[in-house]
Amino acid sequence: MTDPAFTANVSWYDGKSALRHVGTTSLTRDGLLALQKPGAEAEVVDPDDLTFVEARKGETIYTRASNSDFRLTVAEPVPPIIASKLPGKATYGGWIDRFGLVKASIAFALVSVVAVAGVVTAPDWLGPRVPPSWERQLGNAMVGDLGNRLCSTPESDAALAKMLDAVDPSQEKVRAGIANMAMVNAVALPGEQVLLMDGLLQQAESQEEVLGVLAHEVGHVRERHVMTAVLRQFGLSILLSGADSGVLSNAAGIASLGYTRDAEREADDYARERLNDAQVSPLGAAAFFERMREKSGGSGEDNELVGWLASHPSSGERAKAFRDAHRDGRNYRDVLSDEEFTALKQACENDPDVEEFGFF
Amino acid sequence: MENHPLADEQQEGDSAFVFEGTWQEFAPIAFTNLLLTIVTLGIYRFWATTRERQYLWSRSRFIDERLEWSGTGLELFIGFMLAAVLILLPFFVLAQVAQALALQGMEVIAGLITFGSFVLVFYLTGVARFRALRYRLSRTRWRGIRGGSDNQGLGYGVSYMWKTFVGYLVIGLLIPWSMAKLWNERWGKMSFGPREFDANLDHSTFFGRFFLFYLSPFIFAIGGVVAAAVMGGAGFLAGGDTGAAVGSFIAVLLMVFGFYFLLGLIAVAFYAQYYREAVKSLSWGDVDFEFNASTKDWLVLFIVDTLLVVFTLGIGLIFIGYRHWKFFIVHMEARGEILLDELTQSETTTAKHGEGLLDAFDIGAI
Repeated sequence: MTDPAFTANVSWYDGKSALRHVGTTSLTRDGLLALQKPGAEAEVVDPDDLTFVEARKGETIYTRASNSDFRLTVAEPVPPIIASKLPGKATYGGWIDRFGLVKASIAFALVSVVAVAGVVTAPDWLGPRVPPSWERQLGNAMVGDLGNRLCSTPESDAALAKMLDAVDPSQEKVRAGIANMAMVNAVALPGEQVLLMDGLLQQAESQEEVLGVLAHEVGHVRERHVMTAVLRQFGLSILLSGADSGVLSNAAGIASLGYTRDAEREADDYARERLNDAQVSPLGAAAFFERMREKSGGSGEDNELVGWLASHPSSGERAKAFRDAHRDGRNYRDVLSDEEFTALKQACENDPDVEEFGFF
Repeated sequence: MENHPLADEQQEGDSAFVFEGTWQEFAPIAFTNLLLTIVTLGIYRFWATTRERQYLWSRSRFIDERLEWSGTGLELFIGFMLAAVLILLPFFVLAQVAQALALQGMEVIAGLITFGSFVLVFYLTGVARFRALRYRLSRTRWRGIRGGSDNQGLGYGVSYMWKTFVGYLVIGLLIPWSMAKLWNERWGKMSFGPREFDANLDHSTFFGRFFLFYLSPFIFAIGGVVAAAVMGGAGFLAGGDTGAAVGSFIAVLLMVFGFYFLLGLIAVAFYAQYYREAVKSLSWGDVDFEFNASTKDWLVLFIVDTLLVVFTLGIGLIFIGYRHWKFFIVHMEARGEILLDELTQSETTTAKHGEGLLDAFDIGAI
């Protein structure tokens, strides 16, 4: 039976040898495909066993689910009665073929946009939801005990504890320390740890300045900004790991954990509330930021653009917010006595076994 | 017995390898691949690679039958995920641990961990090279028959590590030796159907051009001094001190330009010869291979690549794979005899996953 209405030209490889079998195919009474080679017995294949491999010019290639080495090439024209038995073609892959290229592309694009938005904003909504106990453990793993690199004398420890009492209302206080570094700065580290750098203490003109900065860093801890920043840094380092996986640069990344403008503002708000509760004058903090502004930007007007671009709100704006929080006629108190404040300032000088603070 | 003397099948002068694709036919595949890769944030690239290879293989004829790429996008994806979970993730964690240790003052241990990671990456690079070749052979079919290897490539990884290291040890002079040894080792463990490949590349066949490449910076340095002096002298005669300065300056400018241009040229000349000799050293049963691309052919390939990418503002990148495969097939030749009924199915085990490791390190296979 070689009627073109019922047969198609085929060739096939049995998958065992490279010999090519050339012949025709037609349907048997049971609806199976008989592969007929001149002068040989027909090989019978169940069309349900066939799967699509690829389409070429004028021919389509199939394999068998039960024998993936088998290859059947069906040449066009294929009579409809046989074509209806053969499996459909695949072009782009399962899902896309089902919906069509355009619909699938739009669907993928939407899912991608949602996924990107989720990942980009993840630190903001995930950070505050990480249990504090996890953060503490993470902090211990990342930073650990800074030991002798912190300046500590019995008197300075007592003074620091007293300051924390004033600005950190929680039962379990953050851990605070004085880092033996000349930089005028303070940081909140993972694991509810706050470091005041010796440089900051040395240039501080009043205890209110130190209290303001301390309250600000405690604010970062209590508002869970640290975890958010760690997650953001973590995400960034995953993104950048292809380009640079140097251990040192990662360490530098941790050392320079940055907060967003909003986070800085929240920490400032927190600091003002705590100072207010503790009856500490916010003018100290205002003076500190004003001095920072003079140091960084010179004496002139705050550059709006720079203020907006920089991750910190501009110092002038921050100083003003603290100055505005001051209430004339209110009774502000000193948290530390002069001796206690001096002990704090001299912590590094008087600590006999303090080490240089270096991250590396 | 159905025999296939390659010379009988082809017209005299025809190659056993013929490429029958056109870029117009490939363009719809390339552009839809690009679109889908973008909207899936790159995840589709495994399926894109597969579609591209399916097309390229199906348009490549060896004697009287086209090749078939039987790999799938899913297995490439799984391979990548495996590599990500088993290799990239541990490395990331190790980097974090090393950094935490460094922060806590244990720099020595941190350094050891970093060094260990580096050695492991070196080792895995070798393993990945081997496995990429194995994967490609196992997914390449001709007349229903495929290739492969029963070797996992773990030993090759060790060999790759120490031979590459030794290659650089004697101020780089043993690099050709390590390249030849590794080529032979890699291909010697591969097979197609029942027959193994055999490679006996001798590094002396391409050492000359390597040495030229190796010496070229010194030659340029000496040439530069001479040229600057001559040009400076000529400038001095023409226009005194100013003329001398201008002359020397022009000489230096020409040298810098010439240095990079000629160095690139010599590098291509070296690679062209290396690849010709490497393919020539390869045989499979009674079939011998040849690769006839000259330095000029390679240069044209690279220059057109560059122009294509630059003048399409990068979109031309999607045709680079097509161009390189076409280049490969067009310049491949084979001679000898294939006994078709002795060419039975490969008994090698096939990995269920694709080039994950290689993908992770971003290396080409052949």
